[in-house]
Amino acid sequence: MVSQVRFFYATALLLAVTSACGAVYANDPKPTPENTIHVDLSEAVKPQSFARPLKFFVADVTDRSGNPQPMLVYKPRNGVFLDRTPVEITRQGLTNCLKSAEVLAADRESADFILTVYLFKFGLSDSSGMDFFGKVEFAVVVKNAKTGKSQQVSATGTSIAGAAILKKNIQKNVLEDINKAFGDALRNFLRGEKLRDAVTALDVPAESKPAGTNPAASEKPSGHA
Amino acid sequence: MRLIRMAVVLAFVVAALPGFAKDKEPQFKSVEAKHFTKAEGVELSPDFTDYLYAELRAELTKAKLFGQVIGEGEVVDAADAPSSIIIDGSITEYKKGSVAKDVLIGFTAGWRSMKVDTTIKRRSDQSVIVSPQIHVRASPRWKDKVLAKQAAKQIVNDLKKSLKEHGDSK
Repeated sequence: MVSQVRFFYATALLLAVTSACGAVYANDPKPTPENTIHVDLSEAVKPQSFARPLKFFVADVTDRSGNPQPMLVYKPRNGVFLDRTPVEITRQGLTNCLKSAEVLAADRESADFILTVYLFKFGLSDSSGMDFFGKVEFAVVVKNAKTGKSQQVSATGTSIAGAAILKKNIQKNVLEDINKAFGDALRNFLRGEKLRDAVTALDVPAESKPAGTNPAASEKPSGHA
Repeated sequence: MRLIRMAVVLAFVVAALPGFAKDKEPQFKSVEAKHFTKAEGVELSPDFTDYLYAELRAELTKAKLFGQVIGEGEVVDAADAPSSIIIDGSITEYKKGSVAKDVLIGFTAGWRSMKVDTTIKRRSDQSVIVSPQIHVRASPRWKDKVLAKQAAKQIVNDLKKSLKEHGDSK
């Protein structure tokens, strides 16, 4: 009789513990003001200068990461969330950088080049476990507004930040890491040789249109690893 | 007694003085780290080379030898090119190790290992400053990216040593 009672209590205890653990694991972290971070560039990246003053217009920013939860950047410990979608952050960051250097066109018609951004990665990537590895990766289709010819320019930004134990330090380090990686990616794009080469190749007077040079690239990015 | 106390205080002040000294001007204006290539047969994910690149840049920033640690393929002013360097490399060998050997034998048996050939050259004339060959090992029970962290540290240490020996600068 005693053993039956013991067995009953042990089973009940086991069930209670299992259901409690299940509940913890089943609950995905939810965004709250406490676990939400605001990614913003502390300093706008100054774009490189070109042979003649050019104006750029940011047409579309598309998320191609395939991430079902793009705003959740860190899952453990109730998670860390972004306050805006990566698409919005990227658009604003890129626009601010162009605006600060006075190379942002007011509209599509007044632009020399139209930029279409495809975002592949925004947030943290797998690290060694001893730190946070921030990574931002995108491809930009640079299109000459007059000739319609385009080229693809890819950019990557990475950053390493120290791991932390306290929740507030985790949040601080994750924010710092993503901020740096984002700034690095914008810098890689705006000050990169690839953009310079693309602009040099595409920036031809609309009337001359030299045959056989720089065939139009596909609107969609390709060759992404 | 009072004299001794004053002497002790003075000694502390003198010892702390170097801490207030102004940081030395960096030896190089900029350094560009490139993504390392993988030799045939090296089974590492593309993410690994990204991580190695990020770690290398983080270590270069910590080293304070360079005015700026720029990203791959960024434009550098022609005037800054002679005092700028490029770090390039290739992962020539990777052995993933054996957890069983590590557990049963111990003493670093069955550890992962990675060999990296690195080239550090001047941007202006592409002359090689130093080309360290890095060999790092780590337990297979840790993530493979620990190797990247170790390799990055070793590359920067070798670079520092070489610059110290040659007194190489602008």
